[in-house]
Amino acid sequence: MSAREEFWSIYREALPILLVALGGGLFAGIVLEGMVGSVERFPGLFVMIPVFLATRGNVYGALGGRISSGLHQGLIEPTFERDERLVNAVAASFINGIGISVVIGVLTWLALLILGWEVAALYELVAIMLIAGVLTSVVLIFGLLALIFAGFESGYDPDNLVGPIVTTLGDIFGMLFMLFAIGLVEVLA
Amino acid sequence: MDSPRGSLGSWELRSIVGNMFPLLVVLCVIVLWAGITLEDAQEMLEQYGILALMVPTMVDMGGNLGAILSSRLSTRLHLGTTDFDPRDRELWANVGAILALAATIFTALAFGAYLLGGLVGSALPLTTLLTIALVSGLSVAVIAVVFSFATTYASYRLGVDPDDTTIPIVTNVVDVFGMVIFIGVSALVLGF
Repeated sequence: MSAREEFWSIYREALPILLVALGGGLFAGIVLEGMVGSVERFPGLFVMIPVFLATRGNVYGALGGRISSGLHQGLIEPTFERDERLVNAVAASFINGIGISVVIGVLTWLALLILGWEVAALYELVAIMLIAGVLTSVVLIFGLLALIFAGFESGYDPDNLVGPIVTTLGDIFGMLFMLFAIGLVEVLA
Repeated sequence: MDSPRGSLGSWELRSIVGNMFPLLVVLCVIVLWAGITLEDAQEMLEQYGILALMVPTMVDMGGNLGAILSSRLSTRLHLGTTDFDPRDRELWANVGAILALAATIFTALAFGAYLLGGLVGSALPLTTLLTIALVSGLSVAVIAVVFSFATTYASYRLGVDPDDTTIPIVTNVVDVFGMVIFIGVSALVLGF
């Protein structure tokens, strides 16, 4: 392939996926803009947002990568069944996704304490992360599996689907569930 | 399915969590810097809500571009094309495509934020948005390219599978740069 053809083939292949991710990112931005006022109630909230969004990609990107190589290797079937490998992969993602959400709350609290900045109560930050983490895990894990399975059955290479699906779903649902969690903790705390 | 436990290997629950969780904590600590930058910019975001619209994309997109390039480079290494020869035109085609994608996406981001600005009741001139999005976006794209080459080559040299560790690290480090550069460029352009 000539360099020019290579250039256009990469560009054409990646552009639609990145445009979908851009749409998800702008939607998440609208939700984020709505949260600007809540930062004064919960100082430290904005520290958690990029970390929370990045973590969604790390946990569920890894799950997606594992599932798509499992499908390629014929280790798992593209259906929701009680297969031990599939169950383990899903359970591990729940543990990782929810566990790391709690870690984010604690780390944020510690970092702001060390910096000497104003910070919300530890239990408030952890509660927001825990609620948002649990809800996002459920939607992302089952949404991701359903989309990968459907894609695999209709002949798409799951490797090309995982990254953009995770980024887009993670941005949209991550921010929506964080907004919900902030509202809930505001009422309860 | 009743496969014996021993044959599960890397699909064992303990091994997935045990391998992954420490890496996740390290990545969290890295991205915490991006969060602290965002918290620090709170006043600017309160005044210019339209900037908040661009934040998630600025955080993700550099990482996305880095991930595309890293996985292409690691595939080349797996296939045995082991040299990064600066005279290799195909390599430059990869780099050029990443930069062209960045220019397209960050232009679209500025237009998207401009159109949605009314929705959140905050506006900035299109030229200002284009300046902020393209200057920070292309800087991040260049950083993504440099990091992708460096880490793919390093992980090849060290014999680590790039898919497992280096790609997540590149993605997260580039995300941090995305946030820091975006907030810095915005503050500079808006005189904040």
